[in-house]
Order: sequence, then structure tokens, then C-alpha cells
Amino acid sequence: MNIFQASNCPAWKFLNDFCVIVLGYFLKKKNLLPYLEFLQEENGLQAIVPVVNSNGATCFEELSKENSENLFLDSKAFFSAKKFFLPNREREFLFEKKAASFEIHETIKHRHKVLFGLRSCDLHALNALDKVFLDFYGYDSLYRNKRNTVLTIGLECLKPEKNCFCESFGTSKPDFFDLFFWEKKDGFFVEIGSPEWEKLYCKKFFEKTRENRNSQKENCSLKLETKNIAELLEKNFENPVWEKESEKCLSCSSCTQICPTCYCFAIEDFFIPGTEDSERYREWDSCQLQQFTRINAGIFRQSRKSRLRQFVMHKLSFFRQQHNVHLCVGCGRCIDACPAKISLVEIASQIQKNPIGAD
Amino acid sequence: MHQFESPLKPELAEIIRVKEETPFLKTFTVRFLDKKKQKQFSFIPGKFVMASVFGFGEMPISISSSPYQKDSLQLTVNAVGNISRQMHLLGKGSVVGLRGPFGRGYPIQKFRKKNIIFFSGGCGMASMRSAVYAVNAKKELFGKLFLFHGCKSPQELLFAEDIAKWEKEQNFNVFVSVDKPTPDWKGNSGFVTDLIDKVDFPVENTFVLMCGPQAMMNIAIEKFRKHGFKPEQIFASLERLMHCGIGKCGHCNIGKEYVCVHGPVFSGSELEKMHLREG
Ligand SMILES: Cc1cc2nc3c(=O)[nH]c(=O)nc-3n(C[C@H](O)[C@H](O)[C@H](O)COP(=O)(O)OP(=O)(O)OC[C@H]3O[C@@H](n4cnc5c(N)ncnc54)[C@H](O)[C@@H]3O)c2cc1C
Ligand code: SF4
Ligand code: SF4
Ligand code: FES
Repeated sequence: MNIFQASNCPAWKFLNDFCVIVLGYFLKKKNLLPYLEFLQEENGLQAIVPVVNSNGATCFEELSKENSENLFLDSKAFFSAKKFFLPNREREFLFEKKAASFEIHETIKHRHKVLFGLRSCDLHALNALDKVFLDFYGYDSLYRNKRNTVLTIGLECLKPEKNCFCESFGTSKPDFFDLFFWEKKDGFFVEIGSPEWEKLYCKKFFEKTRENRNSQKENCSLKLETKNIAELLEKNFENPVWEKESEKCLSCSSCTQICPTCYCFAIEDFFIPGTEDSERYREWDSCQLQQFTRINAGIFRQSRKSRLRQFVMHKLSFFRQQHNVHLCVGCGRCIDACPAKISLVEIASQIQKNPIGAD
Repeated sequence: MHQFESPLKPELAEIIRVKEETPFLKTFTVRFLDKKKQKQFSFIPGKFVMASVFGFGEMPISISSSPYQKDSLQLTVNAVGNISRQMHLLGKGSVVGLRGPFGRGYPIQKFRKKNIIFFSGGCGMASMRSAVYAVNAKKELFGKLFLFHGCKSPQELLFAEDIAKWEKEQNFNVFVSVDKPTPDWKGNSGFVTDLIDKVDFPVENTFVLMCGPQAMMNIAIEKFRKHGFKPEQIFASLERLMHCGIGKCGHCNIGKEYVCVHGPVFSGSELEKMHLREG
């Protein structure tokens, strides 16, 4: 039985989940770049990798001759890989005027990709997005078509950063990957996560191994008690903490933009100047902006308090009530990015210390 | 790799009639260009469609026609902003886009043998008319019927002809109130919510369906509750900003509910648990 067959077998999957020893391969560190280039050249995949970009920011980019020297493997990238599934701006349709009617052209565009270097939190973030865009009162095609053509390779974190709190959600345990690279001396232990992994197999660089996934990861110093947090916040909708914390908020929407699970978008039409044709675009939107809930009768979330509360409660309460997972994976990016130094961990902890409506 | 079709793709539909209802409201009778689509299209009153005016955008609009009307459907549109004002400039023969129907409508099947109070304000009459049509078409299945409707002035009274017809029907008690009456107005004046304290209606075995401005509905729910209605006897349609209609874009979110898929119609018991103010 080869590993691929084994990875499909339920009994094996069970063992895999509960044992430390798993089947896998070894990849030498020095072979990482050649391996990624192999995936690009031999397997025809577009390789997306974490790099330090020309502005000095860490983000995901397509691997190229120019950026291959700037691979960033020390910790999670500041910008997540969200934009490869939900681009900042994307065309949905072209409406072509034809006599008295229209012809509607759908945007169909995809390239088979491999996303390398997703951290455990990033993988869980994708799973949260899947809940919304693959199976919640139907799917969204723009997301689904991209998701279906992306393979994921996760990468273990050894040292959490100061604002990481993934352990609090259990999102520090990798899941939902095709391959996962565990950090080892001089290389990676390659764990197999899905039947799709064969498309990432490389005879030349994958070596047989007696290594296993034994993690050396340090614990996060930032912690949040997440047990019953959804219910607690629901009861604390009117807690004075919201007002107090929101006084600092600038409504800049950095938090929602940087968050790997924030997905809200707006849809707008634009004419192509000089024609009667138009295009419909989808664009990131943010609950932190006033116009997000503006209708003719008024604005539902007029106050900063209500908007900051929406962000935190969607993350820690509402989504959990809908989908049974939190819409936060504890990556800490929103805390890193906030110019006002607002932290959802701090807000939630304050409410836990001084709850209202406690029975 | 198999490509999944977009659930956001509008279907083309032709405007076959335009009726000016009031200075700001027009009813558009539309029919899908695709005959099969038109034949298959069915809905429950209270549901809405996403209507596209190409190049201007897409907006949620309730279906105001009867669910038994099969060869076309009607949208009654208030000219308030970019898309709706542009829609008002369109005439017979123009082509628009439609998606839907979306959301959860009024659970009319549940109301068999029960009394029904239709309660609407202003533009809310659009979705309410569809519900009244649906119930009225099978009147023998229901108990006593009441309609309360309020609008700003007599000239803003929507569907005046329909209302006049319902007034004459047996077992149908119709009360219309205008906020600012003109000298020739013979009906009630003042807020429609004031009528709740003036009119006699049964409470037991009665359901209230509501659609209109949030402020009106808040007061109305409070008053009906005072008259002894339980929350589960009340159904109200909420209005929120909507961009997708399929539970994805996040605009219509209130707590764990998405108004576009879980609503727009919610029961009073559901509403009690929702953060309607700034939620
Ligand atoms: C479930 C539901 C049913 C509705 N039924 C009707 C109806 O039958 N007749 C009718 O005239 N109106 C109805 N509305 C309100 C209607 O959708 C808005 O008046 C319309 O979207 C205004 O668009 P606009 O571009 O003209 O206005 P603008 O203010 O220029 O709109 C800008 C953007 O905001 C959105 N928007 C603005 N106001 C609203 C609003 N109140 N609700 C939702 N989105 C809004 C628009 O769709 C557009 O994307 C309904 C709304 C909802 C949620
Ligand atoms: S990043 Fe900070 S300041 Fe900006 S909107 Fe979010 S919480 Fe407010
Ligand atoms: S809310 Fe903050 S910590 Fe949670 S997933 Fe989003 S960016 Fe990361
Ligand atoms: S309208 Fe987009 S989620 Fe409801």
C-alpha cells in the first residue's frame, strides 16, 4: 500500500490523528527553493510564497527569479494570503450592451496554484472562509473556483510572535492542508494531509525518513480564555467596555483589512467610459466604516462603539453561533496593525473580568 | 477543472409595463426573457429579488405582485438614490437584471383558519400587497382579515385602487391613516400606529404581518404586545443594506442572523433576541 492509499483509509486517518508517528517524507532545507521551482516548472503550478517585498513588508507573492532570495520563513507574514482567494478588487461581470438588451460575461480566470508557507493559523483561517463561501446558503463561484485550484503547503512556527494567541483557539494545531512542513534540523518533515498531495510529490527531493512531526514549538505568551466566550459576549452587548475602548478607535479599518478571516465586500457597477457597457466589481468593505450599514433611512451602526463591537463580536461570538468555529484564529495581525493599539484580546479579557448580566 | 457558475449572475428581464403609483413610486411589471425561467419562477410573499440596472448597480426589491401571477412579476420602486432613480427613467422594453427570489417570506401556510392583520407603512405596502393577494385568493382558508396602512399624505397612498377594492370585500376590515391629511381626505388621520388602540380586533388566533419603517414597527410591536399578542404571533420584515442577497457580503448582518437569508421576515420571538439597535 502506498502512502496515498493509506492517507485515504479511515483507520489510518484515525491513527494519524491520535499518534505522534505519521507517514511522511523528509525535505532538506537546501532543497526547499529547488523544490518550489520544481513545482513551478515541472508541475505547472504558480508558486505563491512568503517574501519580504520591496517595501520591507512581509507578504505572499508569486515566486520569481527576483524575489527568490527574499523568501521569508522566520515567522508568519504580516499580510496573510487572503487576497489570493478574496482579491482586494475583482471583476464579477462585464455587461455588454447588445441592441436593446445585454450580454453578460462572467469573469472566469484561474491558474493552478500552490500556496507555500501558510502557518497553522492561516490554514484555519481558510477553513473559516470555506464555511462562508463554499457552503452557507449556497456557494460563491469566484471563491470556489479559486479554492478548487489551490494546493496548500503549511509551515510550522517554532517561535510565536508577541501578539500570537493561536493556542487559545486550538488553531495552533495544523489542519486543512495538503502538505505540512514541520521544522527539523537541516530540513522539514513533510506530513501528508489530503489525497490531493500527489500533485505536490517530488521524487527527486522527497526522501524516506524515520523523522516524525514532534513539535518543538514554544507556547504563546498571549492568552485568551475562549471557553463560553461566544455566550459571554452575547450577554455583554451593553458592557461599558465597548464604549471605553472605542474612544481610541480611528475607524481606519486596518484591523479588518489585515485580518485573514475578514471577508465582507461591496459590489458596485462602473460604466466603461465612452460606451454603454459596464462592469460589476467586488471590493473589500469593512464593518468599521460608517457607510457599511447606510441605507436611505439612516445608518444602523452610527457610533464607533457599535462598529468596533461588531468586529469583535463577529469574530468571537456571532460566527461561532453560526458555524461552530470562531472567526478569529488568533494570528494577532489586527493587534499588530492597529494604530490605536486596540486589542480584541484585551477587550474580551476586560469583559471577562467585569461582565454584566452574569447569572 | 469544472467551473462553477456564479450565483450572482443576473437573469435578463424585460419591462413590459410601468405604472406611476405616486410621485416617487412606480410599479414595473417585468418578465424574464428566458421563458423557462419565467415559468419556473415562484416565490412566497415577503421574499425579494436583487434588481440590476446595468451600469448603476443592484438593489433588493420586494415582489409586490401575487404569487399566483405566473406570466410576469411586479416590482414597486421608490426613487430614492442612484439605482432606483435610474430605474424610474426606464420604460417599456428596457432590459434589467433579476436574481432571486431570496430570503424567507411570511409563513402564510401557518395562518390557515387564523385571523390576519396586515400592517404596513409607506413603501412597506409593496411586499404587503403580495401577501394580501396570496391570502385573498384563498380567502375561505383564513379567518377575519384586517389591513392597517399608513402613509405621509393622501397623494402618497400606494395601491389606492387595490385598497378601495379590499374595503368593499366581506370579512376584510381596511384602515388607512395619513400623517398629514388634505382637506378632501375622508379617512383616518394621524400615525397608523394610533389605530391599534382605536380599532377592535381579535387577539386570539390572530397573526400580525408587518412591513415598514423600523420606527413604525417598533411602536406597533410594542402596542400589539400591550394588547396581549405574544411575540410568536407577530412577523416583521426588516430592512438592511444588502449587496449580495446570498449571505456572503456581510452587509445585512445582525448578530448571528443575515437578513438576506434568515430574513427579511422574522418572528417576534426572533426579533426579541436580535440586537436591532446598533447591532
Ligand atoms: C428586503 C428588502 C426589500 C426592499 N423592497 C423594496 C421595495 O419593494 N421597493 C423599494 O422601493 N425599495 C425596497 N427596498 C429598499 C431598496 O433596496 C433601496 O431603496 C434601494 O436599494 C436604494 O438604492 P439606490 O441606489 O436608489 O439608493 P442609494 O442610496 O444611492 O444606494 C446606494 C447603495 O445602497 C444600497 N441601499 C440603499 N438604501 C438601501 C435600503 N434601504 N435597503 C437596502 N439597500 C439599500 C443600494 O442597493 C446601493 O447599493 C427594499 C430593501 C430590502 C432590504
Ligand atoms: S485598526 Fe484599530 S483604529 Fe483602525 S478601525 Fe480597527 S480597531 Fe479601530
Ligand atoms: S481578528 Fe485579529 S487575531 Fe483574529 S484572525 Fe483576525 S487578525 Fe488574526
Ligand atoms: S446581502 Fe450580502 S450577506 Fe446579506
